[in-house]
Amino acid sequence: MSALTALWAVPLAGAVACALAGRAARWWALISGAAFLALAAAAVRLSWQAGAVLAVTDALPGAFGVSYKLAADGFSLSLVALTAFLNLVCVAASWELEVSAGYWACFCFLASALSGVFLARDLFVFYVFWEATLIPMFFIIGLWGSDNRRHAAVKFFLFTFAGSIFMLLALIAIVVAHQRATGVWTWDLDALRGTDLGAAAPWAFLGLLVGFGVKIPMVPLHTWLPDAHTEAPAAGSVMLAGVMLKMGLYGLIRVALPLLPSVAESWLPILGTLAGINAVYGALCAMAQTDLKRLIAYSSIAHLGFCLLGVFSGTSQGLTGAALQMVNHGITTGALFLMVGFLYERAHKRGVADFGELAARAPRLAFFFGLATFASIGLPGLNGFVGEFMCLSGAAESPILFVGVPFFALLGVVGVTLAAAYALPAYQTVFWAPAGPGSASPRVGDLRPRESAILWTLSGLMLWIGLAPRGWLALLEPSLRGLVK
Amino acid sequence: MNPFALTLAPQAALAAGVLGSLGLGLLGRPRPWGARALVLLAPLAALFAVRYAPLSFDPPLIVVDAPGLAWQIVIYAGALPLALCFSGDDVEAALFLGATLGMGLLAAAANLPMLFVGLEFMSLPAYLLVARAGRGGRSRRLEAAVKYFFAGALAGALFLLGLALYYAETGRLGPGAGALGAMGRAGVSLMAAAALFKIGAVPLHWWLPDVYEAAAPEVAGFLSTSMKAAAVLFLVRVIQIAPAPVFAAVLPWLGAVTALVGALLALRQRGLQRLLAYSSLSHAGLLILGVGAWVRLGGDSGALTALLFYLGVYALMSNGAFAFLAATGLETRSDLRGFAARAAGPAAAFAVLLFALAGIPPTGGFVAKLLIFWQALRAGLALPTALAAVATLVSLGYYLGLVRDMYFEAPEGAAPAASAAPSAPARYVLLACALGALALGAAPFLLRGLGGILR
Repeated sequence: MSALTALWAVPLAGAVACALAGRAARWWALISGAAFLALAAAAVRLSWQAGAVLAVTDALPGAFGVSYKLAADGFSLSLVALTAFLNLVCVAASWELEVSAGYWACFCFLASALSGVFLARDLFVFYVFWEATLIPMFFIIGLWGSDNRRHAAVKFFLFTFAGSIFMLLALIAIVVAHQRATGVWTWDLDALRGTDLGAAAPWAFLGLLVGFGVKIPMVPLHTWLPDAHTEAPAAGSVMLAGVMLKMGLYGLIRVALPLLPSVAESWLPILGTLAGINAVYGALCAMAQTDLKRLIAYSSIAHLGFCLLGVFSGTSQGLTGAALQMVNHGITTGALFLMVGFLYERAHKRGVADFGELAARAPRLAFFFGLATFASIGLPGLNGFVGEFMCLSGAAESPILFVGVPFFALLGVVGVTLAAAYALPAYQTVFWAPAGPGSASPRVGDLRPRESAILWTLSGLMLWIGLAPRGWLALLEPSLRGLVK
Repeated sequence: MNPFALTLAPQAALAAGVLGSLGLGLLGRPRPWGARALVLLAPLAALFAVRYAPLSFDPPLIVVDAPGLAWQIVIYAGALPLALCFSGDDVEAALFLGATLGMGLLAAAANLPMLFVGLEFMSLPAYLLVARAGRGGRSRRLEAAVKYFFAGALAGALFLLGLALYYAETGRLGPGAGALGAMGRAGVSLMAAAALFKIGAVPLHWWLPDVYEAAAPEVAGFLSTSMKAAAVLFLVRVIQIAPAPVFAAVLPWLGAVTALVGALLALRQRGLQRLLAYSSLSHAGLLILGVGAWVRLGGDSGALTALLFYLGVYALMSNGAFAFLAATGLETRSDLRGFAARAAGPAAAFAVLLFALAGIPPTGGFVAKLLIFWQALRAGLALPTALAAVATLVSLGYYLGLVRDMYFEAPEGAAPAASAAPSAPARYVLLACALGALALGAAPFLLRGLGGILR
């Protein structure tokens, strides 16, 4: 067992402690969350210094060719660190909520399972962690969400499970094909690379694509997302949008593309088009929303479309941009969901039209909201710009042309333009436009120190990645180089 | 010691238990503690004896092979929850131990007549057990028991008819008949149909929900685990003794359809015990799919391991779920609303079992389902496996629905009064089963030798 085990065992221990602690549960969530973040930060630092792969644990072999194998490269660790960071943000943001111990236990358990997803290098272990994330999120939405929470929780679970059961069949098919060719049973991701599935390969890729695509989400598998994000409590939305959507992209980059590169290559035109549709369709839907949470939820679909464009551009620049944009989106959208949560706590409303003139009443909130909105649009100097630029320039280099122009980049540019068109009017209405007669604005006070502190850290990260992305790219690039040809 | 004595030592322990229970009845005064002690000790002794059974012993009537012994472990272990919750008299003790003994005989049967003896030996006491230790009114219990009896009698008759046809053509009662003609194949199919009847394959399942619903919860748990394990082994034995090409084509599809139909019917149920009955039907479908994969892989030990592991995990999951009903006395889904707020511990244990039944990691139910899917894909059964995956998805509708009822819904009015007397030992059974089902999620690492048991 190596130190990597601690990266999922510590939050899991925190979950157990929370469940047993009763009223003191939030302290255990804070302690284990802080410990998790410290461990993740130390791991990132080591990885920075050491290069691509930090450590491969001694694989602990089990029955049926399954082995307990974890490994961490820069790509994995950046997402583990994002998980740890947002987990702590969620604990801090929910600190004053009157909730039972289960709430804190669910968040710790979720952090543990997510961390495991990003570290696992054995497909069995990967799938176990992957599915284990559903259980805490199901309870977080269903128990502590808003009015329509029961429906949203079940829908979320059913959609993801439907995707992942076909993913499971695809994984089994790959394992079986590998055994037929070599006579060895193994679920080891690295050993399975290069397995030839023959005629079954497109079906296996389709299974993986559905499993990961539901999570990303790829249009038309996205319909669970607006409900889940809207009905979840604020911290739940942060984890959902901030980390859980990244699982799909991570799986695509880590599992689907390396295992079945030839199918991916021949499907690239279709996949890139789907990604472009994601970016444009998500933005168009976001423009039509009147509920702030729903608007941010649809904007996530658009942003993940950009990441997909980067991945399917088939260029290393696009891929690195996508990986960076995954982290960026977690920070930015996390901040936005958090602030809408703060608004909802105060006013019990979250419609765009329910507010007005908030900049005068809550200047600090207006500042942070503006910063996050601009980061989300992709304003230079903030983190969103770096990621989107790299995704788009990757897409522009992609060899697939449509009437002589790089088609994917074209779709991406349309998406970027639309981002300004949905985000800015909403920001303007809520914070600057005159308040209507029934406005909820008078009930909104400005941020308290605890809330400001949380948003300062998030904003600091946005600026850091935006102004000095080199270090982050140096963390990601070496690990991505080996994954895709 | 004489190896023959050790060969049937597990069965002998159970037979001693049966005789002891009957002897208690002769004493005149009722002695409930005696019956309880016998009911618990006999299966434990049998479990202990399995360890010492010699593998090599191979007389004409009985066989002691690795699958038979492994299955006996699952069968006796699956009977322990009922033994722990047992509250009946000496007659019920004799019936329960007699049924278990029949399963033990079935596991050791080397030819077709011995299989029939085992089948009848395990079935007859079970009919009476349902009639005596039932839930609800006397007429309902009797109706279910009579239905069970007729279904069982039909299965027995089918088996005998098939045996006669098979014998008429081949002149054999055991294995080694070679290629079969039309009559032999019809005979083999009839014998397999008898096994499928006992497992509850669609469309031979009509008796099952009524029986499980009318039985006491812990008895239903016993029927759905030990009895189901014995019935699957019965099917495996019939195919081992008299293989026919028809099985490879029919069983996978039959399994997938059973899984799907069971799941779809369970969606509509309001009564909890009936819901669990249909859910067990759906699980039986996966088991039949596993048997189909085993046939297509040419009697491979990997597929048999998958079946065995599935049955072992299912023994925990199903016994645990029925123990929840016994421990709480809840009857319908609306009783379950808001239950988590009233009793956090049992609700959490039941939720773990439901996630396990649905096959969601990190529970043992997931590993079990994975192994079956894996073997089925290995056998090239892509479409039936996909259909079974759809059935799993459908089953999530009610498993998740029950969790939703318990945790997310507010109770309707006052807390419902438990209609049956809650059973205290059932709480411990529930807890133990939930912990076991959770721990088996790490089965590949906990039971590293599992792949080699049946070699």
